[in-house]
Amino acid sequence: MVPRTLLIGYGNTLRGDDALGPMAIDRLRTLLPDVECVSCHQLGPELAGQMAAFQFVLFIDASCEGEPGTVSLQPLSPDGSHAASLTHHVHPAALLELTQTLYDRAPRAMLVTGVGTSFDMHEDEKLSEAANRALGEICRLVPGLLQSFPAR
Amino acid sequence: MPTITIDPITRIEGHSKVTIQLDENGEVQGARFHVTQVRGFEKLCEGRPFTEMPALMARICGICPTSHLLASSKACDDIMAVRIPETAEKLRRIMNLAQITQSHALSFFYLSAPDFLLGMDADPEERNIMGVVRKFPQMARDGIKLRQFGQRVLEMLGGKRIHPGWIVPGGVSHPLQADQRDAILAEIPEAIRITRSALQWFKGQIENFRAEVRSFANFPSMFLAMANDTNEFSAYNGWLRFIDSNLNIVADHITGTDYLNYIGESCNDDSYLKSTYYKPLGIAEGMYRVGPLARLNMCQSAGTTLADEELAEFRELERHSVLSSFYYHYARLVEILFSVERMQTLLNDPEILGKNVRAHASPNNFEGVGYLEAPRGTLIHHYKIDQNGLIESANMVIATGHNNLAINHGVFQVARQFVKGNKLEQGMLNRVEAVVRAFDPCLSCSTHAAGEMALDIQLISSDGEVVDRMRR
Repeated sequence: MVPRTLLIGYGNTLRGDDALGPMAIDRLRTLLPDVECVSCHQLGPELAGQMAAFQFVLFIDASCEGEPGTVSLQPLSPDGSHAASLTHHVHPAALLELTQTLYDRAPRAMLVTGVGTSFDMHEDEKLSEAANRALGEICRLVPGLLQSFPAR
Repeated sequence: MPTITIDPITRIEGHSKVTIQLDENGEVQGARFHVTQVRGFEKLCEGRPFTEMPALMARICGICPTSHLLASSKACDDIMAVRIPETAEKLRRIMNLAQITQSHALSFFYLSAPDFLLGMDADPEERNIMGVVRKFPQMARDGIKLRQFGQRVLEMLGGKRIHPGWIVPGGVSHPLQADQRDAILAEIPEAIRITRSALQWFKGQIENFRAEVRSFANFPSMFLAMANDTNEFSAYNGWLRFIDSNLNIVADHITGTDYLNYIGESCNDDSYLKSTYYKPLGIAEGMYRVGPLARLNMCQSAGTTLADEELAEFRELERHSVLSSFYYHYARLVEILFSVERMQTLLNDPEILGKNVRAHASPNNFEGVGYLEAPRGTLIHHYKIDQNGLIESANMVIATGHNNLAINHGVFQVARQFVKGNKLEQGMLNRVEAVVRAFDPCLSCSTHAAGEMALDIQLISSDGEVVDRMRR
């Protein structure tokens, strides 16, 4: 049976609130033990092959834009317009485009973004208060979100 | 004097630019490769416990953290004066080979394949990895799979793909498990198939790139790489050796701090990248090259069946050493093949699951040096510590620094061959970038953004008028 959902949290764990994505994955692994999870520093083309095996992919990222502590959801479609190099700062939509082109199928996908306030390097590697709020909200939201995406 | 600036150079690791100086007739009079980012790791290490160095060094770059981790650990082994357990050494070698595999796959398939597959003169909007994906999907799938294989090995052993751990002073932190070994072994046949297929394809393409073979940093130079008694390909053990372009040994058995007698480092006014040179000849005559081309010129055999067959064919390219830097690409594929085959041999060794993987000791020397062949070439870490084991000074000699003089010569050679200053064309400027790409320079000490910034090239006449301009 094809696994249904893949969660991908990404960010630099040494850069303050940028760690939000990987930290969300750490928590969601416990909350959703049957769901496949990937935690990574940055998105890379190598994820495309993995994504092609899933029906739904949820990306979790941090942002410095927006009201601190808030969480936003954005449906994603394949989009190759920012995929020229695919080596750094790969947008999830570019990964979907890559998956579609190479494997003839792209999963449905959504980007969950939590807004942080501090992306500097910290010795204690802790999230800001705002990012912590966003992290809690993401972990509350995601399980319900997965329920709302029935298998095709 | 009119100057063309290519800023940034795209599809390389890090930030750099090239300037090309023209005379009044539009003929190239000079060209320079400038690195515009700063690396400060040597300074920020001072005062840290030497045992922290491998973990710190793994943060120096997102592409070659494993190489720095290994070279740093070897320098720490030297400080502790330990001989690490045999199993640990084999495990470190597997890690290094996986690093070579994933890095070379990135260079060949992601960064340079657009030039080979779509053409040096293709529209830059198309001449990128997505262009390859659209027109040559099987090649793209193969490239992704091969890099993924290397990364999976790093992740399995080091805990994560980027900035892994596991390699520590005295060995590795924990033994390899049987299921990890079996998982890696299961993927090796496919990695070999992909590499052989890419080699076959690339060899068939060389005829289409005769002009690039002739002019891409194609000149006599010395080469530096690690060597050993058997003259087999060596990426982890051995000493440093310099050979000339006729394959004669110039200097040999360089170990420990001896490198300081043979390798000079020079700072440049127009670049943050040092230029290293063969010290006995001085900077004017002491240019040499490192990396895949140097290593294949240096060794007499690869030591694995399929790679030896490919090495024999590679050597037929030229009578003595292979001099054209265009063949760095070819050499990279041969090295991937060797790396995958050698990993297979090491993993099938029953000792690889041994439990004794770490030697423990306090500092026994105040100084330590670690040598390693990183994907791009010879890497040297040299530390001095005080009585408390804190770093007093650190010196890192990086592959791209070794190649800096040759890259500059290559940029000038290509610019003179292809750039006609009265009218700029994308293809001519791309070839200037492509010769830099052939060396696969990695300029990074932190995150970077290859290909993200706009390329803006201006041709400015001697009276300041913009004669031509090209942007992308």
